[in-house]
Amino acid sequence: MSGSTRQNQLAFIAGFRAEWIQLFRASGFLVLVTIQAISFLLLVSLFALTGSRAPLAVICSDTGPYGLAFVNALSSTHHSFDIHQMSSNSANNALHAGTVVAILHVPPDFSESVLFGKTISIRVDVDNIDTDMTEDIQRALPSAIVRFGRQLRLPNIRAHVEEHDLIDHDTGFIPYLVVSGLVLDAFVLSALLSAMAVAHEFEVKTVRYLIVSPINPLVPLTGRAAAAAIASVCTLLLPVSIVLLGFKVRPLHPVEALSNLIACTAIFSSVGVALGALVKRTVPLTALIVGISLPLYLCSGSLEPARLDGPRVWFVAHFSPVYYAVGIMEKAFHGFSVTPESTSVNAIALVGWAVGAIALARYIVKRQLP
Amino acid sequence: MCSPQSRDSVIFDSVTIRHGKRTILDSISVIFKEGEITGILGPNGAGKTNLLHAIMGLRKPVSGKIVVLGKTIPPTSAELRERIGIVFQDTALYEELTVKENLQFTASLYNITSRSERISQVMELLGIKDRENDAIATLSGGYKRRVAIARSLLHQPELLVIDEPTLGVDVETRHVIWSHLRLLRKQGITVVVSTNYLDEAIALCDVVVVLRNGRIVITDTPNGLVERAGACIDVECNDSDMGAIAKLTQGIEGIIRIEPTASGLTVFYRGGTLEDQIVARLFEHNRMRGYRVRGADLAEIFRSLEQTEV
Repeated sequence: MSGSTRQNQLAFIAGFRAEWIQLFRASGFLVLVTIQAISFLLLVSLFALTGSRAPLAVICSDTGPYGLAFVNALSSTHHSFDIHQMSSNSANNALHAGTVVAILHVPPDFSESVLFGKTISIRVDVDNIDTDMTEDIQRALPSAIVRFGRQLRLPNIRAHVEEHDLIDHDTGFIPYLVVSGLVLDAFVLSALLSAMAVAHEFEVKTVRYLIVSPINPLVPLTGRAAAAAIASVCTLLLPVSIVLLGFKVRPLHPVEALSNLIACTAIFSSVGVALGALVKRTVPLTALIVGISLPLYLCSGSLEPARLDGPRVWFVAHFSPVYYAVGIMEKAFHGFSVTPESTSVNAIALVGWAVGAIALARYIVKRQLP
Repeated sequence: MCSPQSRDSVIFDSVTIRHGKRTILDSISVIFKEGEITGILGPNGAGKTNLLHAIMGLRKPVSGKIVVLGKTIPPTSAELRERIGIVFQDTALYEELTVKENLQFTASLYNITSRSERISQVMELLGIKDRENDAIATLSGGYKRRVAIARSLLHQPELLVIDEPTLGVDVETRHVIWSHLRLLRKQGITVVVSTNYLDEAIALCDVVVVLRNGRIVITDTPNGLVERAGACIDVECNDSDMGAIAKLTQGIEGIIRIEPTASGLTVFYRGGTLEDQIVARLFEHNRMRGYRVRGADLAEIFRSLEQTEV
């Protein structure tokens, strides 16, 4: 082994060790970053919780055989509501207090109308503060009526909807979101830790000491970034455990999922290194990284496949590594193809991103050295 | 033009360095000799730190030539950087790491053999062994500076560059640092220090270079510098008596100048024997409340050099 290779190895290890020690001495920082990652995971699951479990009051005034059956059919239909059967007074109070989003009235003559094939008029009082909710109700009702008619084999209900599913199994919104949320966590953890490692060197001016040493300053800095990346993988294990054990979402292809997260760590750590060298200050970096994480996440097919977000968003999404990472992640966990590109294409794109991000980080750090 | 000799550690030959449009070093020509301690003096913003950074290759000249340990720079090769030690003004230590960990980090960058022994050796030398397991953040300014010096000596450099060696340290630590720098001189190491303290320059340096606005005002020995500025007598008196007292000193050969102060005036003079003559003349005016004979301080030296230059 040549002297210079040996010296580079020692310098890399020294940088790695220094970062590792610093991270664990400043354990409060590591804890805060991990809390941030978990809160992001909870945040994205809240998107689903708030959207899919909106409280809906049902007043069933029908004492006949079909009123309750209809309410049960409504409950078992896939929609975004949490159904509560209530008295008229309680439901009205709840609607005005804002604790339910709508009241669905099952009329007293519901059973009779069903039996005699009359048109049933169902009144819905909606707190139409959110048109999305109103539209959800409009979509949920016909489905419930169809299901109801099918269950009771009632000849007079003539509506017929034939459902053809693209995917052979249904997955809830939360399991979909928490998986893409892991990619967001990988971004926040890796970018933040590596950006801090590099920015700290500039901020406290220790980078000047690296420059006047006989070693290439990029070597110990790479050691630092590597330590930060490994620390991010370790801290990422906590959100992963929450997804696996807390949300009980298990990957169909664990190796793919793990490899994807490691690739994400490499890419986002490199992005963090570049940002750290550009900004050179630790405090604004936190705001910057948290600030860019959500738009990056939301426009990359994290809430629904990006192709459904319109051609512009979909086009932009192709420039984000999160788009490909979410594609691989949803495939690995749920078997979904959320991108038209295949997993191999997504993987190649991610590898390309990793190589590009590392090269970019190297270029920026080199340029920013005093 | 400086002609290189075998004992010249650093040569600045008509070096001009700019930062943006501002000239930070202007046609500097100076030689730092091997085994000597050279002090760089000057008011804030004179270019002291930039001159030290230029030795390390951190500032590139737009004209002129810098030769360090026989090599023209920049660029500074790894081999050359291994022969130079530097202590930055702000120490640039890793605050979360301990004293020992900081030194271990440096030892890895310089690929130092028998690392543990050498680290122990420099810690003993600078008197920081008892704090080896303390994080830098918990140390006082003086200890931090000692650690920074210990770090710069780990690889046994031939040339040591120190920016403000005793900035913000207590008197005891100043003396520890001074005695250590003198020891380095004895070992033949060339030391270049920038300082704002005249007593430090007198106590340490063989040669002093005074900078102002990026230019060399004078190069001399510390004592020579003090002599140039002369000694002075602070006279305490009322504002109304200042004119009369100043008049008394007229005609005395050797008086350089008289400056008004908050409590009276200061008479600057050259030549040790003049003191009695001036004091005797001042006593002729019975309104003088008191007097004090002292050497000129650094600010006064800078002022006197400015006037000489004008």
